[in-house]
This record gives sequence, C-alpha cells and structure tokens, in this order.
Amino acid sequence: MRITRLLSAFVVCLLCSIASIAQQTAPPKTSLKVGDVAPDFTMRATDGKTYKLSDFKGKKNVVLAFYVLAFTGG
Amino acid sequence: MKAYQADIAKFESNDTQVFGISVDSVPANSEFAKQIGVTFPLLSDFKRTVVKDYGIFNEEQGFGNRATFIVDKDGIIQHIDVGKDAIDATRAADACNVLTHKKAAQ
Repeated sequence: MRITRLLSAFVVCLLCSIASIAQQTAPPKTSLKVGDVAPDFTMRATDGKTYKLSDFKGKKNVVLAFYVLAFTGG
Repeated sequence: MKAYQADIAKFESNDTQVFGISVDSVPANSEFAKQIGVTFPLLSDFKRTVVKDYGIFNEEQGFGNRATFIVDKDGIIQHIDVGKDAIDATRAADACNVLTHKKAAQ
C-alpha cells in the first residue's frame, strides 16, 4: 500500500517535470540551426528591386530580420 | 525594425547587407518603412514560402514569428535569434562583428 502511494507520487513528480520541460522548450523556435545552409529565396523589396539570397554568396554577409507584421512595434 | 535601423552603421561597416522580412505586401512595407524611417530594404514574403522554409511560420496566426538569421558569405547560417531575443539588434550586430573578424583572420 505504502509502496503504491510512493510510486504514484513519484510518477506525478515525473510527469510534472516532463510537462515543465516541454513548456520551456515550446515556441519560439525554428527548424533551422547554426551551420545549416540558408534556404535561398527571391523576394520583392520596398526599394523596387528583387533580391535573391544566393546573389550575395562570396560578397557579403546577410542579416535577415524577420518581423511579425508592419505597423507593429519592435 | 527601429533597433536595426539604429545599428545599421555597425552592420554596414561589417560588410553586411541587412534585410527586414515580413509577410506584408510591398506597398504595406513601403508605407511602414516611410513611417519608421528605415533605409534598408524590407522584403515581402507575401506567399509565406520563406517563413515556412526558415521554420518560423506560425500556422495559428498565419504569419511569421520574429527571428533574426545571419548568413555568412558562404551561405551558411552563423547566428540565430528567435522571439524576444531578436528584437534587440545588438546581439546580431555583435555576431556580425565576430564573423567579420573570424573571416579576416583566416
């Protein structure tokens, strides 16, 4: 009886810690990691030009600052 | 975006091109750029293909999460900031600095 109670208390603790770990590693996240090849893209810009990421290869580092929506803070 | 504009000199002196990217249309981004005084190009991922490729598409909300990626001259990702970390441009600027010096030393 006592062992069963101890065991169930242990299981509850274990579940709680798993849940808290899961919560901590929840979003924000990305599927990419440092060292990955940056996926190429072609996009239209506010200066009227179209930019292709691979055009910068061997020339410049590129900072891609993704923001959520225009007219919002940050 | 304002933070990146404030640090643009730091980035550009490090031989770096800065882009802002969102799922907004080009006209919306142009208006936004004018409003906050951004001089670097804002790219329009209207079809949401790039946010999906970069793994930051938020299915529930239909747009991309905030994130910053630094890609080196070989096309390799060297630094990632996601969420709140990506609002502050200092970390990205520092990472660029390290990258430039690392490459120069080679």
